[in-house]
Amino acid sequence: MILYEFEGKKLLSEFGIPIPKSQLLNSPGQPLEIAPPLVLKAQVLSGKRADAGGIVKVTQGIIPDLIRDLFKKTINGEKVEKVLAEELVAFEEEFYISLSYDTNYRTSILTISEKGGTGVEEREVKIYPINPLNIQDSLGAIKSSIPYDLLLKIAQIFFEQDCLLLEINPLVELKNGKFIVLDAKIKLDDDAKNRHEAWNYPTRGVPEYSPTQRELKAKEIDQGDYRGVAGSTYFDFDGDIAILASGGGASLTALDALLKVGGKPANYTEYGGNPPREKVEKLTQIVLSKDYLHGLWVVGAVANFTDVYETLSGFLEALRKITPKPKFPIVIRRGGPRDKEAFEMLRQVSDFDLHLFGQETTITQSAKVMVELTNKYAQSNKT
Amino acid sequence: MILDKRSKIIGQGITGSEGSVATAWIQKYGTKVLAGVTPGKGGQVSNDIPIFNSVAEVVQKFGSIDASYLYVPPLFVKKAAFEALDAGIKLLLIVTEKVPVKDSSLIYAKAEEKKAKVIGPSSVGLICPRLNLKLGSIGGATPERVFVPGNIAVVSKSGGMTSEIGLLLKNAGLGISWAVGIGGDRIIGTDFADFLIEMEKDEETRSSVVFGELGGTYEERLADMVKKGIIKKPVTAFIGGEFTQKLPSQVQFGHAGAIIEGDRGKPDYKRKVLKEAGVKVANDFDEIVELVKDSING
Repeated sequence: MILYEFEGKKLLSEFGIPIPKSQLLNSPGQPLEIAPPLVLKAQVLSGKRADAGGIVKVTQGIIPDLIRDLFKKTINGEKVEKVLAEELVAFEEEFYISLSYDTNYRTSILTISEKGGTGVEEREVKIYPINPLNIQDSLGAIKSSIPYDLLLKIAQIFFEQDCLLLEINPLVELKNGKFIVLDAKIKLDDDAKNRHEAWNYPTRGVPEYSPTQRELKAKEIDQGDYRGVAGSTYFDFDGDIAILASGGGASLTALDALLKVGGKPANYTEYGGNPPREKVEKLTQIVLSKDYLHGLWVVGAVANFTDVYETLSGFLEALRKITPKPKFPIVIRRGGPRDKEAFEMLRQVSDFDLHLFGQETTITQSAKVMVELTNKYAQSNKT
Repeated sequence: MILDKRSKIIGQGITGSEGSVATAWIQKYGTKVLAGVTPGKGGQVSNDIPIFNSVAEVVQKFGSIDASYLYVPPLFVKKAAFEALDAGIKLLLIVTEKVPVKDSSLIYAKAEEKKAKVIGPSSVGLICPRLNLKLGSIGGATPERVFVPGNIAVVSKSGGMTSEIGLLLKNAGLGISWAVGIGGDRIIGTDFADFLIEMEKDEETRSSVVFGELGGTYEERLADMVKKGIIKKPVTAFIGGEFTQKLPSQVQFGHAGAIIEGDRGKPDYKRKVLKEAGVKVANDFDEIVELVKDSING
């Protein structure tokens, strides 16, 4: 989960890292309690807010109008719902610093640029691998104008708070030699949520994108239920073939295959890790809540552990509850534990247009069948 | 890394619901599990396997242990893995999914210190059909449905697709020397290159198939190792998730490591560097068969 700037800064300040005085505005009408000069910052997840007009410096002038304008904005695809009003800080030097995990080094890395601010991508950066078993020694080897104690504190927050990314840009040095964080981007590891009681951030989407209701609803299926995953990733597309895929790798393979044979997916989503039938039922209902569908593809690999009977039972229960009753073709391609029982159950179903395929048919082959049946159905339903 | 029939294998967390089912399947396949470890359940017996409170107790009783597979709950994996590494076990296979990245990173660092190998987290398992040897959930209750003995090594970030590749090869009259799920997490103990470097020494293996996907740089490292000639046996690759390149970045697709960040992690780039290195890259999944056949006949 990516934190908004105000959430990230609050977290840093709770651990003793200095941040500017600020006030969070939840609506344009909220009275301002801090005096100019200040900077108004739209709270969106995407970077490059300044270029998109999401950061406004105010030394004087009609502040309420400026705030109202910011609240009306959509920045890089995200609607502005909160604005952070912050005292303007005069500084001497600016730095970029971040901690993250890197697959090249297969460990955490610290990235520093002695010149921070926007456009850091083009500046010279130094990367230092950090051994998580010995943070002090790893940091001791770093030559930087940022004091060691501050580096250590930032690294401790990164590890203790299970961050995937802790990026401070810029970190600035004031005239008096003190350091203060002007902007921070923090990404928390969702898999560590259960050991952090303080993490009660509301559900959100991803940067540069405002999630649809369906996407947010799908995300909620996994909340509070650790058994398997269903719907944690859900995307709406504008095609006519609904997708209920299982398995991370198989779902990717399936969508690529469908697009290659000319199919138009209505969504992307997947379930896996042997989820209970209720989760699959909920996800199926979300997948089938779209209008203008001409087909449904229930697709997965030959599962290793996921109980195919249980999960497809959940699918069938949802299918029976959908109104109006789906008349379009439904192609199912699946294998794995208890698949014989699952297919036996599905063969008894006569009130839906089911097309069943087991492991003798590849995912790619079933994609072709799906597209042919969808096109035929769409043709015959044209008026 | 490679085990044989005499290897002494234990399981951690095999008294739980998933671990006990998977362990019964492992035994049914013909792999002997010497002991299990679940803190607080020492003295119990599960699937006819004696359970101990700690790995140290197992080592005391049976001497050194070659491998352990872990079905420990996510937030306890780090402690269990450290325990196994401290007890001198040189191969760990972590099946557990949703292990926090910090913990995976600590486990990898510790394994490096101890000169041990870790497969996973989120590994579906490791299988050798010729020896009827398997660790983890790979192949479920009936691995022979998809994995038959042969000369092709399979390395996959996806558990389901490991089986799917096994099946595709089986239907084409080919078989598997070893198949492994390396997991789709950000930080993994064994990547494509690590495993295929081991396979260079394996006499049964003539060629390999890898399943990669968006995210990270493990596919790029494989390309590098092939280019450098460290991996000499032919490699065929399929990279999933082409469609994700048209969507907003920073989205995680299924696996925790399946995420495009900036320019990094794009399937097209992975395909390009793999091709340039001499890896045969399949355009669609079913094409794998043809490319593998070429690689062993050509």
